Amino acid sequence: MSERVAIIGVGWVGYRPSTPEVSYKELTYEAAVKAYADAGVNPRRDVDSFITVAEDFIEGTSIFDEYVPDQLGAVLKPVHTIGGDGLHGLATAHMLIRTGQSEIVVVEGHSKASNVVTLPEVTAYAQDPIINRPLGLNTDFIAGMEMNRYLFETGTTLEQCAAVLVKNRRNALRNPLAPYGADLTLDEVLAGPPLAWPLGRYEAAKHADGAIVIVLASEERARSLCDKPVWVIGVGWCNGAPSLESRVWGDVPYIQKAADMAYRQAGIRQPHLAIDFAELDDTYAYKELQHMEALGFCRPGEAGMLIEEGATEPDGEMPVNVSGGSLGMGNLLDANGLARALEVVLQLRGEAGQRQLDEVEVGLAQSWRGVPTTSGAVAILSN
Amino acid sequence: MSLLERYPNAPGAWLGELPITSRYTAGLAGERFLRAIKDDGKIMGSRCDRCGITYVPARQFCERCLDELDEWLDVGTKGEVYTFTLLFENLDGTAREEPEVVAFIRLGDGGLVHKLDEIHLDDLDIGMLVEAVFKPETERQGSILDIAYFRPTSP
Ligand SMILES: [Zn+2]
Repeated sequence: MSERVAIIGVGWVGYRPSTPEVSYKELTYEAAVKAYADAGVNPRRDVDSFITVAEDFIEGTSIFDEYVPDQLGAVLKPVHTIGGDGLHGLATAHMLIRTGQSEIVVVEGHSKASNVVTLPEVTAYAQDPIINRPLGLNTDFIAGMEMNRYLFETGTTLEQCAAVLVKNRRNALRNPLAPYGADLTLDEVLAGPPLAWPLGRYEAAKHADGAIVIVLASEERARSLCDKPVWVIGVGWCNGAPSLESRVWGDVPYIQKAADMAYRQAGIRQPHLAIDFAELDDTYAYKELQHMEALGFCRPGEAGMLIEEGATEPDGEMPVNVSGGSLGMGNLLDANGLARALEVVLQLRGEAGQRQLDEVEVGLAQSWRGVPTTSGAVAILSN
Repeated sequence: MSLLERYPNAPGAWLGELPITSRYTAGLAGERFLRAIKDDGKIMGSRCDRCGITYVPARQFCERCLDELDEWLDVGTKGEVYTFTLLFENLDGTAREEPEVVAFIRLGDGGLVHKLDEIHLDDLDIGMLVEAVFKPETERQGSILDIAYFRPTSP
């Protein structure tokens, strides 16, 4: 059994609004081969277990887990698929190694969002079939109602939410992985068309295709294989009240609980001091602010002020989504959490190129599974 | 038009579709809740005394303590707008000129998501009182749509 678990290799492809020339298997294959080369492992010989995060309706294939092994080098090996976000996969890999069941584990997440022809309908099929679905509403209504209540309870302003979009898309200009880099002004965002007022159309992340593979190992294997291991020092996940009728609307207590679980493992009591930077779910702009508060970076209602002060800019006290986040890199569906974790790994290794942060030691990645869910996860990584 | 459709040299792709039809059982509590809407024009909740919570829609068990709930009560047909949105897109993602007004209406300690109508957008606010407008009894089918919409309560 290994007390400590490290990320020893990462590989990725993307991110692009569409990838018409390659299949999802080829996307994943490319990311996998890069990750194995980075980790210095042979998947056929060295990897003990493989995990994919995927959802049948998104993939367009029933029993999608049957379509996973070949592109990862996982044929005739233990493989399982998790219906969850990428960080749930990372948490599972962490457990497999901590228990001693496996020494080297691979986690894979991908998005071929450009091939999901009826994504709004697929998402609407996640609404309660008896109480909610008959209303025939696009599922973005849940984000609009949540944002409205969040603004009401915290006094956060439309301008502060729009500032998240401006920051993240500007950050994306320095990230070669990000297709949605842009230099926008607050006024341009605020004058944009509404989607689910108070939520604006620009404030919902556009989708992208891509694949991410991460190789994790026990401390012993990590030390022999890798000279820049990134340690997983805490992971947590949690589900809230799923029904629209019994959830709280202004707040996301499941993210707070997921963070508490991760902070406990990492021995972190004051997250704003212990954590150097964070990659947070921003699939809707206001979510970044709401998530900062749930993670304890500040008190409820203060995240909006922090963004106005520039505290979450790349040169601020707590850079958030220096990668560009989902607003800048694209919404990668189930792979979003792995995209967040990948950026934390690159920063901790000092391999983030133009957008590299100075002297970072501890980074946090957080994910949310999107509307209509109340499930999320947190991972804390350290170099 | 998607990026892909604008790219004349994009390779072709195979299309597949699956007709999905599912049966959903409302259950012991769900059946009784929907029947009360259909037959009596009433919105019912169920009470957990241990947790001090009145669930609306009524349900068979408490999600906090997992007690079975057998105390049912009529929570009335008026409630506060707890939050709302102006939805400018259709179910399939196409844009709407005129928004749908959608709200979560607080009833008991739960509530209902529904559309608002007979309302001026300028008057719309969190905390405003609204009431359910039921379809005529002969048109009701035991569905959440037996409530046509909610509207501001008459002063
Ligand atoms: Zn109870």
